[in-house]
Amino acid sequence: MTLAGVLSRTGIAAAVAVSGVSHAYLYIHGYRHIPTIGTAFLVQASVSLALAALILVGGPAWLRWAAAMLAGGSLVAFGLSRTVGLFGFSERGWQPSPHAALSAVAELLTVGLCAVFLVEGRRARG
Amino acid sequence: MTDAPHTMSRRQLIRHSAWFGAAVGLAVVGGEVISHVAGTADAARVQGRPTLRFAQVSDSHIGFMGKANSNVASSFSQAIDRINNLGYTPDFVIHTGDLTHLATPDQFDQVKQMMTGLGTPHVFTVPGEHDSVDDAGQKYRSAFGAGTRGDGWYSFDIAGVHVIALVNTLNLKKLGRLGVDQLDFVAKDIAALPSDTPIIVFSHIPLFAMYPDWGWGTDDAAQVLSYLRRFSSVTCLNGHVHQIFSKTEGNVTFYSGTTTAYPLPHPGDGPAPKPVTLPAAQLRDALGIREVSYTRGQNALALKERTLQ
Repeated sequence: MTLAGVLSRTGIAAAVAVSGVSHAYLYIHGYRHIPTIGTAFLVQASVSLALAALILVGGPAWLRWAAAMLAGGSLVAFGLSRTVGLFGFSERGWQPSPHAALSAVAELLTVGLCAVFLVEGRRARG
Repeated sequence: MTDAPHTMSRRQLIRHSAWFGAAVGLAVVGGEVISHVAGTADAARVQGRPTLRFAQVSDSHIGFMGKANSNVASSFSQAIDRINNLGYTPDFVIHTGDLTHLATPDQFDQVKQMMTGLGTPHVFTVPGEHDSVDDAGQKYRSAFGAGTRGDGWYSFDIAGVHVIALVNTLNLKKLGRLGVDQLDFVAKDIAALPSDTPIIVFSHIPLFAMYPDWGWGTDDAAQVLSYLRRFSSVTCLNGHVHQIFSKTEGNVTFYSGTTTAYPLPHPGDGPAPKPVTLPAAQLRDALGIREVSYTRGQNALALKERTLQ
């Protein structure tokens, strides 16, 4: 694998891990008591951390797509919770700070890096 | 193996399956670890009992007669049975308003009689707008106002938690209103409390802007919330909207509770919040009570929503 490939892999893994750790932190510090949202945070955190570890050790490309879909889904859920609500739950702005912003940036980065990976992969295959 | 680009050899299939299995296994292990960390953070849970446990019931609307629930007294009885069969004795039960539908003396008598059946040392209430339809809450205060201040507001301390019960239904225009006297009461009431005191606030109408077009908000709530900003944990529980909803704003978490009488539409779903008629089985799922527990050292209260089934 090229240096660029290793860097891209490491970057995606790091971004996914940051999102997972943020969700795990919020789950432990109170969100687990919110119906449905608590379970969703636990699933998001555990799947993110698993994907981050496997992407880092060189797992196949579909792991990155899974990470991108998870990050995209998390961003959609974030948007819903700030607008129409999600499972009867809503929050305002970037609360809880700094974890909301941290997660959103990490998830945007995950989606962006995966898109770059896709474009580069297609270019390499000609 | 052919040259076709999308076929997969058995070896590749096994390899991908192994990665998939690893992903699932790691996710399960990760979930277990996170749950375990969350569980051990809850030190008192290890000792088997939260510091404070209470139940919330709301919007019983005793006296309501309509298609949406032809027997609200029976539903409220089921709610009382549900609370009495939680498996423990709640430290108190709070009814967050609209005890009655039309605030008649008979309806107050009936709901008060029924609530004597609650297996708990203390029953607290706040009035809803249906409890003060024609007398600014006088009949409500005659029935439930003992020991309260002003127009029925009060506070108390229990298990290290400071509880404030507010009345925001008496000076209704469109939104709920607390008024200057009550705001003064809150400011003085909390002045001497350390900032790490957990605060629980009860009111009938939400203290957050859930849907102002339908009056689901309190126009001077920002003032009272500004007094509470310095506290690390503030939990506001309300009724009025007949549905479960939650929202966080900084250090404050708001939880709207469901009803024991009849559901209302989701915010903005239709022109007005009129009772929704559901098939019997669905109605039982929409009605319920709420268990709330607090464990010392934790910022958040734990909530469990229970249907009347």
